[in-house]
Amino acid sequence: MEKKLKSRFNLLENVYINYILIGILFLIAIPLNQAGIIGGSVLITLGSVILYSVVGIGMNILLGYAGLITLGGAGFMGLAAYLSAYFTRDLNMPFLFSLIFSVGIPIIIGIGIGLISLRLGGYYLAIATLGIGEVLKQVFIEYDVFTGGFSGKSAGYINLFGLQFDRIGTYALYAVILIFALIIGHNIVNSATGRAFMTMRSSEAAAQAMGIRMLKYKVLAFVIATIYSTIGGIMYMHLIKFSFPTTWGLGMSLNFLSIVVIGGMKAIAGPVVGALFVIAFPDLVLKNIPIIGTSPGVAYIFNGVLIVVVLLFYNRGLIKIFTDAKVLIKKLIGGK
Amino acid sequence: MKDNPIFRNDMILKIEDLSISFGGIKAVDAVSFEVNEKEIYGLIGPNGAGKTTIFNIITQFYKPDNGKVYFKDKDLKWKNLIDYKTHDVVKTGLIRTFQNLELIQDLSLLDNLLVGSHTFYKSTALEQALRMPRAVKEERKFRNKAMEIMKLLNISDKAYELVYGQPYGILKKVELGRTLMSEPRMIILDEPAAGLNERETAELADILKHIRTDYDTTIFLVEHDMGLVMDICDRICAISFGEKLAEGTPAEIQNNSFVQEAYLGSEEGELAE
Repeated sequence: MEKKLKSRFNLLENVYINYILIGILFLIAIPLNQAGIIGGSVLITLGSVILYSVVGIGMNILLGYAGLITLGGAGFMGLAAYLSAYFTRDLNMPFLFSLIFSVGIPIIIGIGIGLISLRLGGYYLAIATLGIGEVLKQVFIEYDVFTGGFSGKSAGYINLFGLQFDRIGTYALYAVILIFALIIGHNIVNSATGRAFMTMRSSEAAAQAMGIRMLKYKVLAFVIATIYSTIGGIMYMHLIKFSFPTTWGLGMSLNFLSIVVIGGMKAIAGPVVGALFVIAFPDLVLKNIPIIGTSPGVAYIFNGVLIVVVLLFYNRGLIKIFTDAKVLIKKLIGGK
Repeated sequence: MKDNPIFRNDMILKIEDLSISFGGIKAVDAVSFEVNEKEIYGLIGPNGAGKTTIFNIITQFYKPDNGKVYFKDKDLKWKNLIDYKTHDVVKTGLIRTFQNLELIQDLSLLDNLLVGSHTFYKSTALEQALRMPRAVKEERKFRNKAMEIMKLLNISDKAYELVYGQPYGILKKVELGRTLMSEPRMIILDEPAAGLNERETAELADILKHIRTDYDTTIFLVEHDMGLVMDICDRICAISFGEKLAEGTPAEIQNNSFVQEAYLGSEEGELAE
């Protein structure tokens, strides 16, 4: 028993290896790209999958573990994206400084909004955060000095300590960021803080009886999701290198909901699988199917159908396919 | 109103003149009683008598219309719990269980117990996210403590299994274990034997006696299983329709005519509920 306890709580857990493997799988695309097997646009799509996954991990902590919903996630993501573009391009700030402000400012706004809106719950919270998201989008449209308005805002690839990243370098950096995002997410969820989130979600009475301050942990979950969103937004800005205000609307926020639900709530790596289906699949597979692929809105229909199918038949999310497959293989090999 | 209540040295909880009404119906009407240190104290009464309501007031889930709840906290200072927020009550050393189990289904038994030590965690969320030394040390300490408690409760073989799908007897023990994690001075149990079979109830009686001596706690319980109540309680308070009927040793309560009357009329009490 003592040994089991130790192995359960090592600094480098077995699951960490799984997360590192996910990062390595993404990195394999680089040699494939250099060998000419996949094009540069595929690399950009996979890079998008990574950054959507990062945001999805935060959303999963908020939705899956803390049981809170937000429809304003894209707003915070966009805010960070514009801030990062403004600081690095207009103010010529070193990337690291820009990073601190681009994450810090949305967090401060997020705490303020959280303290007010998180007194609400359920549908009311969804409506409130929807409003916040739309307000932010309107701000992006109106403050064109700062955001470029409808003509958009551009930024370059990341320049870290004088080291200029190119497309492949950026992609590799993002894969590494994903590994850290997964590991930190895993740590949060498996800590006293994570347990407090889950207690809050499943029983308010138990949470209060055990001394868990509801508002504090709601705001904390909101802040964690905001941090992940801002990092995802900054990653977006320096990969896509262009941002329009309309990108950061309800559609994007809903995308994150689908990513979390399809991938698997309450599984840290779930959003990676979800993002692969929501972001990469329409772009890399659907588009190549004749007739259907070129019809407008096919990606949305695909998403919708996928959500229904997953909720009906596989409500723990597609990530559970791996665990189920493992069990099945063990059964086949072990004979029982 | 600055009347000083009289506290005897061996008391831990003093309820004074507690009243609460819901929409004109008096659920609890001027109830007063005292619980002594290291006592197993039972609160009994027919259905709808207001037992759980009293528990909810003591633990500050409800605020009473009138009355005081004095509790001798971990520093042995008397505090009026009415001034406390619900989530601060546990810090005084008072913790409760629930009539309908309030466990986290998708966490393991071990993790459910760890929720009980929530207020003892000193490391910040950031330290936990980065697994800094203090957070790791702390987590390990509480895990060991939880394993010890699970050994006492005979559930350590299931430590890493999910709560979901566990038999009722196990769930009851998990909730009890979770209260112990908070290093309580007093545990309030809301119908601990409900849903348990005879063997499990006997085991529970044993465990409760162990807890009192090993963990130095007072136990205050609401229970319908008269066998258990008469077996383990040192003193009992009987209430009916929100009013106190009698207080005394199990034998005294059994022979009290008011209590007998209340229980013979319990059919009506059930209907009224």
